[in-house]
Amino acid sequence: MTTVDPVRGRARLRDIQAITDAALSRLDDRTLLAELLDRTRDVLDADTAAVLLLDAPSGELIATAAAGLEEEVSQGVHIPVGHGFAGRIAAECRPVILDHVDHTTVLNPILWAKGIQSMVGVPMVAGGKVIGVLHVGSLTPRQFTRADTELLQLAADRAAAAVQSMAANANRAAAAALQRSLVPSALPSVTGMEMAARYIPGTGGVGGDWYDVFVLPSGELCVVIGDVAGSGLPAAVIMGRMRSALRAYALETRDPSEVLGRLERKIQHFEPDALATVLYAIIEPTLDRMQVCLAGHLPPVMARAGQSAEVIQIAGGAMIGIGADAQRPVTTVPIPPGALLCFYTDGLIERPGRVIDDGLAQLCQAMTAAPPEAVCAAVMSSMVGSEPSRDDIALLMVRRHVHPAPPGDLAGTTEG
Amino acid sequence: MPDTMFPVKVVRGVPVVITPEEVDIVNASELRAALLISAAHGPGTFAVDMSQTRFCDTAGLHALVRAHQRAQADRGKMLLVVPDLTILRVLAITGLDRVIPHVATLEEALDQVAQPEAAG
Repeated sequence: MTTVDPVRGRARLRDIQAITDAALSRLDDRTLLAELLDRTRDVLDADTAAVLLLDAPSGELIATAAAGLEEEVSQGVHIPVGHGFAGRIAAECRPVILDHVDHTTVLNPILWAKGIQSMVGVPMVAGGKVIGVLHVGSLTPRQFTRADTELLQLAADRAAAAVQSMAANANRAAAAALQRSLVPSALPSVTGMEMAARYIPGTGGVGGDWYDVFVLPSGELCVVIGDVAGSGLPAAVIMGRMRSALRAYALETRDPSEVLGRLERKIQHFEPDALATVLYAIIEPTLDRMQVCLAGHLPPVMARAGQSAEVIQIAGGAMIGIGADAQRPVTTVPIPPGALLCFYTDGLIERPGRVIDDGLAQLCQAMTAAPPEAVCAAVMSSMVGSEPSRDDIALLMVRRHVHPAPPGDLAGTTEG
Repeated sequence: MPDTMFPVKVVRGVPVVITPEEVDIVNASELRAALLISAAHGPGTFAVDMSQTRFCDTAGLHALVRAHQRAQADRGKMLLVVPDLTILRVLAITGLDRVIPHVATLEEALDQVAQPEAAG
């Protein structure tokens, strides 16, 4: 044990306080990171301080924040894990002190070109995993001590927490923005038809539910609703890819089963971990009939004028992503004038303590062949009430007007 | 076997994952962990006893599908025990009933996959 020099002891306490300062918590995460780097540089009497964050897919550390040598960030320095100074810290998850900086010890040319002589770096760890590296450098040769390393580790722990919180917020915001842009509240206006829709994120955040409605060049109306397994940004990204793939296939082939078959092959090859249920339907320009194909999705419900609503009996095919080769059957469903079609995701129907058939019966009960907007509201009120759902919910209602539209008059439609 | 929230017991030499009343986005990762542990135990053949389960969402199905695919790739087998009509309905709607083998009782499952016990 070494005896603590009271003056040095006080100075060290001040240093620790500078880094653990509760006032830092009041800053937003990005400002906190910048302030933390400044303070770290000050207390260690260093010339540079930098945070490199691990980009897991590429296995590279990317310079994300810096004080003293900002060009590290502006030039987008990338260091492979396991290589060079920072790469070694991340790979071995332990501090490294360097008293000799040149191209043999440090990969990043900015550091040795600027004349950095000595460095010390520590891993940033969150949830038991290395998420980055924090290092400081000195323009004059010096021996960083164990006490320096400990102080730096304190700053790194603080920085790791800020980065985690930043990433979580960014993911949530990005997922919500993606969902909003891909599940538009504005639906196309189609003569002879009226539509309404709802998307409600679950209590677990935004999920992978989506719907899409568009008019094909043939004048047919294409209706898609689906549910990608998972939640947050990963599910929203997969959902976005499925949505665009389906739009592309819809232009290429008329057969709903072939459209879903192509989606299956695309997902198998490019997103082998994705799993989704999808309903794909084409409504004829005369609005008389609909062709529906299900990939593991719940069947639509139809309310005919003056009758109680019913679940449309459709033979379903397998979910997208389980590698089933079998063709999914296509069912033709007549749509009488005034009928209201309801497409939805499982979040509306399935709920702990409620079996599927009870959920479907309740949905049928809540539906009438009335204007879609009002029925959407009635259905949400009956099925969800004031108790928020854990799973997200997508709901799309399409109603054929009572008075027939003039033949082939889908022109002048706009797309949401 | 390590502890997970989903109990895994070994019956007649076969690991059996017992799923709770509800399997959803909240506990799907626990299910994944239990399935991985079971697959890693012995020759990669195991059962998932869903007798107590009344609710399973897409996150739960996702875990089951991946475990089934992994078992197939490893020349093993995952067998579901599903007596509950609601879960059977979910499997039918999603088309998983035609992909993942399932039986109504644990006994049936074990009869299919258990190694014959040494005589005596």
